[in-house]
Amino acid sequence: MQPILKIDLTTGATEEIVIPKEWEKDFLGGASLAARILYPSLTPELDALSPEAPLLFLTGPMTGTSGPTTGRFVICGKGPATGLWAESNIGGFWGPELRKAGYDGLWVTGKAPEPVYLWLNGSKLEVRSAAHLWGQNTYTTQDKIKDEVGEKSARVCVIGTAGEKQVLFASIMCDHGRMAGRTGMGAVMGSKNLKAVAVQGTNEIPVFDLTKYKSLRSEANRKLKEDNEAKVIREVGTAGAANYAEYLGALPVKYYTRGSFENVDNVSGAKMTETILVGRSACQGCVIACGRVVKLPGDRTKRKGPEHETMVGFGANLLNDNLESIVDLGELCDRYGMDTISASNTIGLAFHLYEKGIITKEDTGGIELKWGDVDAIEALVRLVGSREGIGDLMAQGSRSFAAHFGVEEEAVQVNGLEVAYHDPRGVSGMALSYATSPRGACHNQSDYFFVDWGHSHEELGIQFFERHAQAEKAGNVARHQNWRSVDNAIVMCIFANVEAEEKVKLINVACGLDWSVDDMMRFGERSWNLKRAINNRMGLTAANDRLPKGLLEPFPDGGSAGFVPDIRGMLSAYYEARGWDPETGKPTRGKLIELGLEDVAQDLWG
Amino acid sequence: MTAVFPSEEWLKGLETKLNTDGRYAEIAKNWEGDLFFFIEPEGNLKEQLTFYLDLWHGACRKVEYKPSTDAHPNPTFTLSATYNNITAILSGKLNPMTAMMTSKLKVKGSMGYMMRNVPTVLDFVRCAQEVTKEIL
Repeated sequence: MQPILKIDLTTGATEEIVIPKEWEKDFLGGASLAARILYPSLTPELDALSPEAPLLFLTGPMTGTSGPTTGRFVICGKGPATGLWAESNIGGFWGPELRKAGYDGLWVTGKAPEPVYLWLNGSKLEVRSAAHLWGQNTYTTQDKIKDEVGEKSARVCVIGTAGEKQVLFASIMCDHGRMAGRTGMGAVMGSKNLKAVAVQGTNEIPVFDLTKYKSLRSEANRKLKEDNEAKVIREVGTAGAANYAEYLGALPVKYYTRGSFENVDNVSGAKMTETILVGRSACQGCVIACGRVVKLPGDRTKRKGPEHETMVGFGANLLNDNLESIVDLGELCDRYGMDTISASNTIGLAFHLYEKGIITKEDTGGIELKWGDVDAIEALVRLVGSREGIGDLMAQGSRSFAAHFGVEEEAVQVNGLEVAYHDPRGVSGMALSYATSPRGACHNQSDYFFVDWGHSHEELGIQFFERHAQAEKAGNVARHQNWRSVDNAIVMCIFANVEAEEKVKLINVACGLDWSVDDMMRFGERSWNLKRAINNRMGLTAANDRLPKGLLEPFPDGGSAGFVPDIRGMLSAYYEARGWDPETGKPTRGKLIELGLEDVAQDLWG
Repeated sequence: MTAVFPSEEWLKGLETKLNTDGRYAEIAKNWEGDLFFFIEPEGNLKEQLTFYLDLWHGACRKVEYKPSTDAHPNPTFTLSATYNNITAILSGKLNPMTAMMTSKLKVKGSMGYMMRNVPTVLDFVRCAQEVTKEIL
């Protein structure tokens, strides 16, 4: 693989890091390799927003190769809201451009004395002042930097004012509206006074056996175009499943307190397609094109339309059935540079606490929080993005916000990361996905809701269990997490249905390996356990594997009325399937050694 | 009425079932669309078999066994699957959502419409299972 460019923003010193060959083989790239690289520096004492904290932008071995949905990269570090392993992957074109510049990663440490941005033009790196850009939104900043460097084709990763002000769920954006939303990597970037990273390159991206790879990728992309799920996502976007999720009682409604939303169709992908959709957008090389391009009445320009999480977060979650307002609210979050899941979840919590009388107009600065009131929602987005008024408290995330009012248990979060919009009372596998994810309540480390809907992977032993099955699906969830760990290492989009045999062939010819499917799954297991060990070392124990109270109360209505996941029973079976110590929550020494993580076993067990 | 699958009698039985089943009538009350089923040869099926169904507002207006595709040039949906996959669905061995999500059942048509009407699709499958006495 190509080297990683490391820069210390405090001193301006740079170096090229060459990854050892055995790490290339054992950790490939993306989030897995990032975990291996950052393992020594992610300590319990590390302040995620200090100059010492690392921020690692890393591509995968297929990034930019036009393989199936492989235009992506990942940004990793320590989560400022969670204090745990943080990773957030993102599409667009920035990752491929970095590889064309001759680097597979960019590792940032230190803190610039003044706001700066980086301009990597080929192998030439400049540190430029961003004083004039500080305070600018993410869209404007991307445009201005392209103008300044004089390269319209340059790709720019950027933070908005939320990142500058270290909103703990600030995002990093690129290519207009592509977002690394989760785990607050934008706040880490802001803490370094780093406004943006612009890149441009012209090199060929290295592939071990390009001839074979071209043949395999053509076939994989051809199949992907014909895949039913890909067709749904292309036609109606990721929000296309809203109606079905609502039917199952798996769509979070009114801050996870209701099991149905009668107006769901007004805020669905199908409705968006019929009313305001004017185009679709894709990341580099992607044949799915999940991105929505919309135009609202009165708009002069086209805009980004919402994906599933934004649609539900600012829709059903807040009892808002106004589709156009969700477009606006999503764009507002993008411009501030904030994760729409955490932002809308924390806003939902504010409405919830207001309804319960725990907060009042005195706390909100006079804003009445009436469910579905778009003006009130927008006001809170602006307060959070600018860290003003109650927004300053909310900017620290829902756990901290609820704790401030003495009701931490009311926050629907796990380990400081707000729960995404797939309710485990409708799709029980998500109970384990949220409770055991290495980065908090995440749906991308294992999008198990797809399996609970019916998408089994028999070739991997990932069978279909009834959506309300409990402990019997624990081993299945673990296997699915291992499978997704592979995707997060090669940084392939989870919307791509690329079957296991096909995926391992792509990896083999891209990297010069000779893996079997079993080898690939063992790799995924190694990645999962490494991230777990990082978290164990930073203080995570079995007690952290939990669900919030709000997800353990049965719905009175809807397609999952009366059901709650038996999280204790599921966790017990999960630990057994994983080979983890139920007392400490750590992978056993034997498991770590079995996976080739001897040094980690030594650190965890002595 | 139940019948052996695949047969014209089975298809007629399904038509009757769809027109008399109160649960289907309620769930499918908003469905508007006709469809072709192409069953690809495999196992006991030696040549492609085609069904046509015209489904409208919780009822079945028409079925045709081995129709010419020219007779209905623009169906709302075209579904296709191998014989073994279709029979696995009918016998309950293959979850219909699994069949769709893994593309064992291939779908052409408005995916948005399909996603809006998953309950209708699932109840249609229930009716088809209930009229299946035996699989060849």
